[in-house]
Amino acid sequence: MTVDTLFTWLGGLIPAMEGSGTLLVIAILIPCLVLFLVVAVNAIVMVYAERKVAAFMQDRLGPMGQGVGLHAGKWGLLQTVADALKLLTKEDIIPEKADKLLFILAPFMIFVGAFVAVIAVPFGETVIVADFNIGIFYILAIGSMGVIGLILAGWSSNNKWSLYGGMRSAAQIVSYEIPAGLSIIVIIMLTGTLSMQGIIQYQEGGLFNWIIFANPFTFVAFFIFFISVVAETNRTPFDIPEAESELVGGFHTEYSGMRWSFFFLSEYANMLVVSAVASAGFLGGWHSPIPGYFDSNGWGIFWMMSKIVFLIFVMMWFRWTFPRLRVDQLMNICWKVFLPISLINIFGVGFWTLIFG
Amino acid sequence: MVKYFRDIWESLSTMMTGLGITWMHMVRIRQNNVTLQYPEEKWPRPERNIGFDHSNYNVIRSRLQVDIDDCIGCLKCERVCPVQCIKIVTEKAPVRGEDIKDVGHIGVTSTGSRKALVVTRFDIDMTECCYCNLCVYPCPEECIFMTGGPNAHKHPIDYEFSEYDRSDLIYRFAKKGTKDGMEKILDAKRAES
Repeated sequence: MTVDTLFTWLGGLIPAMEGSGTLLVIAILIPCLVLFLVVAVNAIVMVYAERKVAAFMQDRLGPMGQGVGLHAGKWGLLQTVADALKLLTKEDIIPEKADKLLFILAPFMIFVGAFVAVIAVPFGETVIVADFNIGIFYILAIGSMGVIGLILAGWSSNNKWSLYGGMRSAAQIVSYEIPAGLSIIVIIMLTGTLSMQGIIQYQEGGLFNWIIFANPFTFVAFFIFFISVVAETNRTPFDIPEAESELVGGFHTEYSGMRWSFFFLSEYANMLVVSAVASAGFLGGWHSPIPGYFDSNGWGIFWMMSKIVFLIFVMMWFRWTFPRLRVDQLMNICWKVFLPISLINIFGVGFWTLIFG
Repeated sequence: MVKYFRDIWESLSTMMTGLGITWMHMVRIRQNNVTLQYPEEKWPRPERNIGFDHSNYNVIRSRLQVDIDDCIGCLKCERVCPVQCIKIVTEKAPVRGEDIKDVGHIGVTSTGSRKALVVTRFDIDMTECCYCNLCVYPCPEECIFMTGGPNAHKHPIDYEFSEYDRSDLIYRFAKKGTKDGMEKILDAKRAES
């Protein structure tokens, strides 16, 4: 584990403090800060990318700036930085009738749920904070913690739209956990391990050893998993909990400034986590598509990141292509289409493994 | 049962169509882009067409422009201005009709009048201007005019003259250095006498 390695390394570095509690705290804080940096930079870059992708798909240019001065830099590259600064300096409003404790707690609950899951995400052969033997299960379990935050935010705002958004998100996330989980069972059946690194090591040896191409059922399972996690991250076309046009922002209607930006940060952190799970579970993680080429440790980070970025781009692509689903349509797809097909997938993968090896 | 799978197939295929459309729009942004980066890029101005010949139509209301080389400093426009947004200061030229190189003063106007006065200040405050066009008529040299329209050959039409600072809307038409130059010349004259 990274923390243990750091702890012993720091102990060797400063022999006077070897084994002390202070060093342990430092050893815990270092990966924490690094991961926070990854999450924050990911959010900043992805917000910019999302605005550009959205604009290009709608024949616009998106954030643009010319030269220096009060513009947003070349091609609007500084737009997100300016937005972040604006959010930091904005007034923090807590509604009078809101449940103050829960109102303040909610954004942190959501962010912690998204952020803590990142520690089990393998970015490379050795680049992982904690390779649990139940890694993928841990990510699923912790990832669902965010829904508590959403309900808290909806409830504590004391606002009918927020409450409605919170309830919708609860219904949606609880439903879509099931097809996502069942699709993950397919991976676990093939690999026989819950550890993220174990799953990735199983897919060694090029494009056709990736689980997505292992058999026809896993191919279907990938799409079910991916669409389910898009629904779990509350992204359009499954954004009925926030639904700007009907719920005025849903659970984050009453939030402003930094608290609001924590919702956004956790949305993008969630996207990062689910894309990482999808690429680790189905797309070979940090393995190169060509066996034996570009397979060093550094290239591993590149492959993992490019897979994650590609999947995040597909999410953006979905967002700016499809209109929002109605609540009943959403439930229809989950319970009548994804659930039966993912159950069939499990049987299919079982039989396939039995017959073909 | 058949309908169930047909529905799934139909939704998948139509989703693919939609994704294809947005993808094509994204990769062809250079051809399809509709946004104009306004201050840097501008739409071409449409051809002016008011149903009759421009030359008969002398009251196009855009911004005022002065050909300072033709101005004889008669103050007629300053007097006629209903909002008093024109401020003119003149100095007597040493010799009527003679060029004064130091201050860029040309002795003879384009219509042949010999200038007796050097215009050291000719300010028009466009924040106050009411675009009534009244200053244009009395000008004996026709050197103050509204841009564009019948005067397009003198100055193209200019309808976007917003500024970041309000004081930049005071147009100073007198040539730079005229005032200092004239003062020097007058001081020298006084010292001589």
